[in-house]
Amino acid sequence: MDDQFRSLVYRACSAVFETMFFLFPEPIDEIPGAGRRGAFAPNGAHIRASITCHGSSSGSFKFFIPRLLAVHITTNFLGVSEQDINEEQILDTAKETVNMVVGSLLGKIDPTGATKLQIPEATMLDNFSVTEVLKEKGLFLFNTDFGPLCLVYTQQ
Amino acid sequence: MAFNILVVDDSATMRMVIKKTVEISGVPVGHFFEAAHGKEALEILDNNWIDVLLSDINMPVMNGIELLAEIKNDENLKRIPVIFITTVASDARMEEARRMGVAGYVTKPFQPEVIRGVLYKVLEDAYQQKVEVPTQSVAQEKDDDLDF
Ligand SMILES: [Mg+2]
Repeated sequence: MDDQFRSLVYRACSAVFETMFFLFPEPIDEIPGAGRRGAFAPNGAHIRASITCHGSSSGSFKFFIPRLLAVHITTNFLGVSEQDINEEQILDTAKETVNMVVGSLLGKIDPTGATKLQIPEATMLDNFSVTEVLKEKGLFLFNTDFGPLCLVYTQQ
Repeated sequence: MAFNILVVDDSATMRMVIKKTVEISGVPVGHFFEAAHGKEALEILDNNWIDVLLSDINMPVMNGIELLAEIKNDENLKRIPVIFITTVASDARMEEARRMGVAGYVTKPFQPEVIRGVLYKVLEDAYQQKVEVPTQSVAQEKDDDLDF
């Protein structure tokens, strides 16, 4: 993965989080204390939101969003308070996040539009293991006030 | 005149955000209609008077480009201006949409002001009348209500 691709991914993420959710995720190289047991507790629940694309650049992108962060971006997105949102809206916001990030990234890396985005998916993960994710090659990490955000790119 | 607006997006939360953005923009709205994909949108268009359509592109069942083609091929519907609000931001896709007769294009992520600007321009062009812009104070008050 070249530096230019990395910086475009970081930029696409930042643009979506800043513009739609008023949040400023900070790109980081590693998660402080990630090796320690329970580093993610008590907020172990995560949402996995993924999308694939086919064409001149084929691959998949998976976000692992701490539940706290997912709740926060959903309330900011909808402009409502926490008690007014439901699980479906949290998952839907996560899907729209990966859709927007990868869509705007493709606009930059594939101006011919040959690469087609598929429909995003999202699942609630009760037991998320950061250790597995940290082994991934195409890993992008961000620090937020609501826990670390991971994005994994797998080229196909 | 109040406008009947159809918002088409497979994301229910995105439809809610777009609806809110239109409301605070001050455009006079008669009725809001919502559809989760192109096919649902065509059913609504068959049964209701719609003045402007705000549509996503990447949707299951029938995507926004296919929906636009259906609308432009239909004598009764082709007058309706279509604005794409989409993550699909490649130059080639935008050009294709323009050729097919899209009236406006907004890329996600968007600032509310961008939707507002495009919507006003499209409505004024399509209906040859000035759409009344709310006073600054009203718009400001409403902006304050929105958390983003
Ligand atoms: Mg969509």
